[in-house]
Amino acid sequence: MSTPAWILDIFAIVMLLVAEVSAGQLVIACAWTRRGGTDADIAVSHLLMGIAVAGILVPGLRTLPNAVWEFVFAAMTAWFAWCLWRESRGRAAPVTHGHYAPHLVQGAALLDMFAALTGAMPTLHASTLALIFALLLIAFTVYDVDRSAGVDGYFRVVGRRSALAVAAAGPVALRQPTQRLLLSPAVVKGCQVAISVTIAFILIIMI
Amino acid sequence: MIQLAFGRVRVRLRERAGAAATPGTDARRVLQLVLAGIWLLDGLLQYQPMMYSPMFGQMIGGTAVGNPGVIAGPISWDAALVAQHLALLNTVFATIQLLLGLGIAYRPTLRAALAASVAWSLAVWWFGEGLGGVLNGGTNPVTGAPGAVILYALLAVLLWPADRAGAVAPFAAARAVGAPAARLLWLVLWGSMAYFALTPADRAPQALHDMIVGMAGGEPGWVTWLENQGAAVLAGHGLAASIALAAALTVIAAGVFLPAPLARGALVLALVVAAFIWVFGEAFGQILAGGATDPNSAPLLALLALAYWPPARPRARRPQADGPPAMAVGRPDEKFK
Repeated sequence: MSTPAWILDIFAIVMLLVAEVSAGQLVIACAWTRRGGTDADIAVSHLLMGIAVAGILVPGLRTLPNAVWEFVFAAMTAWFAWCLWRESRGRAAPVTHGHYAPHLVQGAALLDMFAALTGAMPTLHASTLALIFALLLIAFTVYDVDRSAGVDGYFRVVGRRSALAVAAAGPVALRQPTQRLLLSPAVVKGCQVAISVTIAFILIIMI
Repeated sequence: MIQLAFGRVRVRLRERAGAAATPGTDARRVLQLVLAGIWLLDGLLQYQPMMYSPMFGQMIGGTAVGNPGVIAGPISWDAALVAQHLALLNTVFATIQLLLGLGIAYRPTLRAALAASVAWSLAVWWFGEGLGGVLNGGTNPVTGAPGAVILYALLAVLLWPADRAGAVAPFAAARAVGAPAARLLWLVLWGSMAYFALTPADRAPQALHDMIVGMAGGEPGWVTWLENQGAAVLAGHGLAASIALAAALTVIAAGVFLPAPLARGALVLALVVAAFIWVFGEAFGQILAGGATDPNSAPLLALLALAYWPPARPRARRPQADGPPAMAVGRPDEKFK
């Protein structure tokens, strides 16, 4: 007996929704701003994770070979590790403390998962590592849900001052409710929580 | 680019909300968040493949054995119902626990989620755990007596987001129910554990040894090694170990009635005992073996001990300082009363 397929389907649908929302965020943000893109990495990571995780849950939604995903998440993990290192050294723009940590853990968890699927990872401590990742993701989820949406959200605090200045100078108005909704901090947080819970779910059922 | 667009939305939302600041996070809130995390873990564990096998119904039915008819009857009915609608009911159970975790973590739904968690815990304690085996003599604090799930209810009550008027609580668990009631609950819990440690079945020479060895099945190698080492130490010393454990549990039970420095010592002992129980008696809740529905009682006992931790005495205030008392500093829950 295994976890019923319809439950996996529901989680896969949520992941596809996250990917779609992340893609929408990228498109809308590109249309409204001329340059910058300091938080594009997070939206891109959500987009890729949504697609990859949906493929794990439902084989029919698999888009790329596991080895390719393994490479993608290795690169993503390295990128967020570097961002976190820069943040800890104060070399990056001022951000919320531990801003990149959840993304790093998500990337590493998926790297571990795809490495296990491709057989590149020794299975000696596979269940222990999966549990550790799951616990970390649960901790980040709880932390995320506790924080008010829009206050120290996932998108860089560095944007706050500049955004305030831009807003004061008369920014482009987000007139469309859909656009406003897609870029709302609550939706960003929702995507983050959905990804963390779904990855933790997969890790737990893989133990 | 995205950050700019997000920044604009954020500015507007903040302006609309009157630039409300994020409420602070005090000791009780941290404990609530840990409780939320454990509920979340429970929910995810409930989705495991093994829970969708007939074993789950049999596991529930097994808790009826040895209980009085009035207790066992509903458990058997519940087990039969679960067996008939396994996929649906197990998914509902898992989702409820997932939502309880998220609800406790989300401040606006904190009270509702805590209240629901009390009701859910009591129901599971009876229908799913057979009252933790406290009435059939087949329980031991080392393996989770008096039942992990009842501790969720206890924590929800003690961490309720309210404060009794007119008194400064000596520890987080006393803020909602008052110090005398909180201490009484602690005494009952740890006192009952001391009693269970001395029941005839648990003080037999090989009782603890066999219990610990039984936990090693299906575990990864390092956990099996730990269990075997612990079991080897206790082999043939069941009576002495039970007496030592009961003595430690009694000291812990009485500890919260002592002055703060001694109470801290008792709470450290509680944390050590909880760690011992979790590692050797519960094999980390047997999560790594697959098929566990929760991390078992020890993490909750540790959380409970932290809820009774007396805070350091506040430094003498300067005359001009006119802030709230130590336990009242930065109470985020005020907002949600």
